[in-house]
Amino acid sequence: MTSVREKIGSSGFHRTVLKNGSPYCYMKVCLLDQETRLNAVELKSLIITGLKDLHGEVGAALPFDVLKFDEGSLTAVLRVCSGGLVKLWSSLTLQGYYQSQACAFRVLQVSRFNL
Amino acid sequence: MNTFSSFYLIKKLPVHELLDPGLQGAINQGVVYGLSFGTRIDEDTCVALMPKGRLVLSLDKDSYELLGVEGKPSRFNHRTCSRFVVSVDLTDSSMAPGGRGHTRLLTGLRSHLQLQTDFLLSHHPEGGASLQPLLSRYDWSKHEPEVSCRHLTDLTCPDFRSCDCHSLLEWIGAVEADISCESSSSSFLSSFTCPEPNDVLSHALSVSICGLLLPHDVQRLIQELRCHLQQTQLESWASLTVHGFIDSPVSWGDNEHGVLSGGENFYNLLMFPDHTYHLHLATGAYDTCPP
Repeated sequence: MTSVREKIGSSGFHRTVLKNGSPYCYMKVCLLDQETRLNAVELKSLIITGLKDLHGEVGAALPFDVLKFDEGSLTAVLRVCSGGLVKLWSSLTLQGYYQSQACAFRVLQVSRFNL
Repeated sequence: MNTFSSFYLIKKLPVHELLDPGLQGAINQGVVYGLSFGTRIDEDTCVALMPKGRLVLSLDKDSYELLGVEGKPSRFNHRTCSRFVVSVDLTDSSMAPGGRGHTRLLTGLRSHLQLQTDFLLSHHPEGGASLQPLLSRYDWSKHEPEVSCRHLTDLTCPDFRSCDCHSLLEWIGAVEADISCESSSSSFLSSFTCPEPNDVLSHALSVSICGLLLPHDVQRLIQELRCHLQQTQLESWASLTVHGFIDSPVSWGDNEHGVLSGGENFYNLLMFPDHTYHLHLATGAYDTCPP
């Protein structure tokens, strides 16, 4: 739920308070299988597969972005709409395999801000 | 940037040492800053020493009961009361060495709880001498803030005057994290683009300073940036983002801070040559609203 309060001062000072107003959530995740080699497109496909396995077709249609992916450390920064954070996070948690090889996602950091 | 104050990392500091009479003078002058290092606010005991002389301890239930000093339940408890916050004003008369409050807290920290933690400590220049007896008793190392610079070319930059705050903070974060804004909105990987309208800057500089930074150093940096903006072109701008520690037990206005899912605790100051500015303050959903 987003609430907005605005206050305008006589000197032109303008204060706006937004609670839970960020439209996106950002996640920094890491794939814990250093033997696996994949690129950003394959990573996104893997996450979509995980969403589909756990949440069905509706889950697979959840829009999210791979903002950055480091192929060396298998670390990625993801962006998802605030309402989809729980679906995405839960599917990452329960994702256990990539191409018949055991793997796991570790969520390093989650924030409502990209900073 | 090279004149930022250095800070100390003290290994396994017994927290009762912060009540040492030798340190009391520096605490009363408001020149000492401290924070436990490597402790997690939702699992471990976290300690903060504020420049106004307030000692804040965020404790789990068992540690709180062992300590035996009055505190309050944490605002970030879930169904059960599992964390407590003890906040003590070390400048109060009862906390003078030998005072009732001082003795009780000292006994709790030294005998009952025996709390030890790695500790970051910093001070204004005039407070350095009073820390030496404390440092001489423990394993410590001195650190300078890490400074790193990146020169950016052909940077796609939004129009700050018309950009909403979330898009602005997202773009600033993207620049800092070296995230490309060039992908089209129909790309498979990412639909993230620079907010419209935008322009391309030929040159920009991104600087990162990491460490236990003091407020007066940040204020001096802001003044220098403002002076620099006066001397440059009208379309110039400077953005400064200051992050608080995610696991700090205190946030804005000395109020309690919790990590929830992100532990956000930062502000961004966007300055223009005409002395106008945008100030964005962010914190967790259950933290106290910034002033």
